[in-house]
Amino acid sequence: MVQLALFALFAPVAMFLAIAVLPPQRRRGVLAGALSSTVAVASLGAGIAALLRYDGQPVERTVTWLVHHGRPIASVGVFLDGVSLSMMVVVGLVAAGVQVYSLGYLHGEPEPHIGRYFAWQSLFIFSMQSMVVAPNLLQLFAGWELVGLCSYLLIGYYWTKPSAAKAAVKAFWVTKFADMGLMAGIIVLFVETGSFDWQPGLAAPVATAVAAGLFIGVMGKSAQVPLHIWLPDAMEGPTPVSALLHAATMVAAGVYLIVRAYPIFEAAPGVLAFMAWLGAITAFVAAVTAIAQDDIKKVLAYSTCSQLGYMVAALGSGHAMGGYFHLTTHAFFKALLFLGAGAAIHAVHSNDIHDMGGLLKKMPWSSGLFLVGTLALIGFPGTAGFFSKDFLLEELLEAGQLVPLALLVVSAGLTAFYMTRVFSIAYLGDPSPAAEHAHGTPATMFTPMAVLGVLALGAGYFGARLAELWGFEYAFHLSALGLATTGLGLLGIALGWLKYARGVDVVPSLTGLRAFIRSGPVDTFWDRAWRRGLLPTARGIGWFDRYVVDGLINLVAWATLRGSEALRKLQTGRAVDYVYAVVVGLVIFAAYGTIAR
Amino acid sequence: MVSIPWLSIIVFSPLVAALALLFVPSQSRAATRVIAVSSTLVSLAGSLVVAFGYDLARGGYQFRESYPLVPGVGINLDFGVDGWGVSLLLLTSLIIFAGAFATWTLRNRDKEFYILLLALVAGVFGVFVSLDLFVFFLFYEIAVLPMYLLIGIWGSTKKVAEAGPFRFIFRLLDIGGKEYAAMKLTLMLLIGSAFILAGILAMYYSAGEHSFSLEVLEKAHYPRSMQLWVFPILWMGFGTLGGVFPFHTWSPDGHASAPTAVSMLHAGVLMKLGAFGVIRIGMVMMPEGAAAWAFVVGAVAVINVVYGALSAMSQTDLKYVIAYSSVSHMGVVMLGAATLHIDGWNGAVYQMFAHGLMTGLFFALVGLVYEKAHSREIFRMGGFARIMPGIAVFFTLAGLSSLGMPGLAGFVAEFLVFLGAWEADAKTLLGHAGIPVWWWALAGILGAWITAVYVLRAVRAIFWGPGPDLERYPELTDFRGPEWVAPITLGVCLVVFGVAPMLLLPFIDASSSEYLEVFKTAALAGVIR
Repeated sequence: MVQLALFALFAPVAMFLAIAVLPPQRRRGVLAGALSSTVAVASLGAGIAALLRYDGQPVERTVTWLVHHGRPIASVGVFLDGVSLSMMVVVGLVAAGVQVYSLGYLHGEPEPHIGRYFAWQSLFIFSMQSMVVAPNLLQLFAGWELVGLCSYLLIGYYWTKPSAAKAAVKAFWVTKFADMGLMAGIIVLFVETGSFDWQPGLAAPVATAVAAGLFIGVMGKSAQVPLHIWLPDAMEGPTPVSALLHAATMVAAGVYLIVRAYPIFEAAPGVLAFMAWLGAITAFVAAVTAIAQDDIKKVLAYSTCSQLGYMVAALGSGHAMGGYFHLTTHAFFKALLFLGAGAAIHAVHSNDIHDMGGLLKKMPWSSGLFLVGTLALIGFPGTAGFFSKDFLLEELLEAGQLVPLALLVVSAGLTAFYMTRVFSIAYLGDPSPAAEHAHGTPATMFTPMAVLGVLALGAGYFGARLAELWGFEYAFHLSALGLATTGLGLLGIALGWLKYARGVDVVPSLTGLRAFIRSGPVDTFWDRAWRRGLLPTARGIGWFDRYVVDGLINLVAWATLRGSEALRKLQTGRAVDYVYAVVVGLVIFAAYGTIAR
Repeated sequence: MVSIPWLSIIVFSPLVAALALLFVPSQSRAATRVIAVSSTLVSLAGSLVVAFGYDLARGGYQFRESYPLVPGVGINLDFGVDGWGVSLLLLTSLIIFAGAFATWTLRNRDKEFYILLLALVAGVFGVFVSLDLFVFFLFYEIAVLPMYLLIGIWGSTKKVAEAGPFRFIFRLLDIGGKEYAAMKLTLMLLIGSAFILAGILAMYYSAGEHSFSLEVLEKAHYPRSMQLWVFPILWMGFGTLGGVFPFHTWSPDGHASAPTAVSMLHAGVLMKLGAFGVIRIGMVMMPEGAAAWAFVVGAVAVINVVYGALSAMSQTDLKYVIAYSSVSHMGVVMLGAATLHIDGWNGAVYQMFAHGLMTGLFFALVGLVYEKAHSREIFRMGGFARIMPGIAVFFTLAGLSSLGMPGLAGFVAEFLVFLGAWEADAKTLLGHAGIPVWWWALAGILGAWITAVYVLRAVRAIFWGPGPDLERYPELTDFRGPEWVAPITLGVCLVVFGVAPMLLLPFIDASSSEYLEVFKTAALAGVIR
């Protein structure tokens, strides 16, 4: 099992090195892509095989990484239990699917660019998997930063485009900003316990400090309000990248961190309550924002924020099952949605839903799969999203977090509304002029979508099995809460369909809301902090250093030069002057001698 | 069996090469380069032999050599290395090996350039292996002085706008010129040297053993009252070279004006001499003084880290950005030193190593960009990655190491330092004295974030985006021929020592553990009330 996991981990990084170091390979991008996706599939196979051999006994294999006084203080290696193995398979599955899909999606791009793309993709699999199997928080942090790097590089895939360059840097800055908290949390953990392990039994003040630090990191990576601003911009990257990194796996890293470090979070009730509230607020705000978007990828990005909010809120309930279950199902259906959106964008060469229109008729199969993803996201009864969402809401009810719960239930209705809006405008009706020329989806793109579609429909039925694997408890039972949520979802679908497919004015005009959201209040706040806070501070410090600190040094030099110029005048070269000086000196010395005696 | 004097070979092979170059006609450029490069290869090989031959289990000083020099006053040529010495020798030989290739295309008095460069590096090697304070100081000066000529003759000039309260000074001093930069650097470092010399003499006389031997002086006990003033002058003296605020301002001008190989060597290794001196001479020999001043040292280091990073952010000249980033990163070294804690010290020395590689790589690349673009104005560039993808990749790599990306050497170092800073709060003398220092770690982490801001901003402005404007920059190319050597050598090391710190950390850790023993004596417990 360990060997299989190590293969799943290291095969992609070997591929990365092969592509990166051997220029002929990199320049022949299609070959690199074919090899890279083969390796990704093999890595997935190894991950599945490892999961199948798991017998319920966690296995840990580590080597020393840092020492002091000759004794190890930190190690790296693999920690394999139900939680990490299943995440490994989820990551491997989506990653392999996305790589195969990319072969079709990037067809026709310049070959060196494709080579670079697959190099980063392979590096990403390694980084993400090394985070997933991390035996301690330090390695988790290392993988966490590395996936951030891959995100930066892949968002910047179209690096000649200024907007993509800006988005890449912004994503890195914002997540790294939050990572300051994560790093501080890890340091506090080590200082207090002498190890980087997520052990139970921390004293409440320590646990609270550590958990708060870790959660700041989560807010950045998993795009919680108000640090979510980078995620919509990250859509500048190619759509398969958005599917893999910015929907299914990397952004879920924050949620995974909480699940892993749950012993620490459990001991910090204050942080848990904050998580429930902040997650619910994120879910609601992002859902509202998604209604006002016309770019299909932006809708999905805000939807990802919103769903991450669900997971974070659920983890705030004191139970890890609901949030982690939702992470798993969300990975499947959100990746499917993005790949479906990619197929649509590929067909009509535009991101705007109004340019699409009537795609269902033009490309029925991939549109059908997009519909499957949509229903799973809405939580339509029977789909994977239904089971996980229902369970996490039950958990919150049980924990008595009623206000967050209410926000999440309302958001479920909003989710149904905005997804129906997208589907109605982009896929229903008559084909728009751009969609007239839409072509079918190539097999490389369609096959991964079909696999994800099956999982988006079926994964929910394995709740009990997964819970057993993870060591949690799960049971499905229909309750009033579930019925109410489902009812709200159906209402959302109905309203959305009536308004956007039928043109019936069932809801009031959203122009005001749209204008407000388009003005980007949160973005504006951070932009001001950058323009009016950090930049002027840096400029001021730079000026101070150049002209005051250095100025003082120059002042010394100046005084020396001027002083010596003045003193030089004493050397007149006339003998008489020197005799005067000698005489005056003698007189002074004589006078001093007389007085002192 | 006669043991081979590896340390002498490492130290003197550049000097021998410099002497040999005197007899090479200046037209034969190839011969000049072959001699220079092969001497650096000899030193590199020697450093590797020493690294592999060093017996970690035994610890202490190894590869000892001793030759009497001036026995009358107790001056001997006494060489030996411990774990720190091994790491820093390795760093120096890597940087000079890479640096010898980085000025490959120099066409102006290149023989003289290589002679001075080799003399300088011999001085650096000498400092790291000398166990005699007098010889130590001699080598220290050999390392500093050639810089004056190297910058004054082969440097480049950049005008600084007249502004600020002292603008009347600008015309008199010709601020920004290469002669100005060379003069400023040399004078400031020499003032530092004067402080160091005073400190060394104070130790010599206070110990009263008529010996400059480090080991003899180490065993002597110095009165607390003397330590309280000797430590700060050593800190300021060595600190000037280590870029300690507010004596760091020679660094931006000096590094910006210096030719590529000189900036690489200077920022990469020479600044480490300063930090090494503060720790090895200042803190280990004057533990009571160090403990009493640790809070000040740490607080100033925090200023270095954050202030340096913010200053770097405000620069528009590429070389100034990297020079200020060195000021910021040397602050991390001093921060680690000030913790007086094992993790902090391991991190400090690891940071010397990591920052040396990283900034050496940075200056090599910046030199190339400048050579090809004839401009250093960051915000007028753009899209360079299209023409110079190799340079873009390695620049990004160096940047990632500087902002602490795991998997690169900088992360190991910074993480250990921040860890040590927080631990110092609870577990060391500072903590026992009730002085809160945990915020050092937070400030350091903030500095790392600001680094991410300015480094990635520079990467975006230079390499990303549309362009480049080939009419403005007609000579852009990627690496050519020998230019590949420096980035590959340094880049590979950054990755190797970032992924596998266990290759190096045990060496550093062994020495740190030994040195920190001096802080454990009972007399120190009540020192910093």
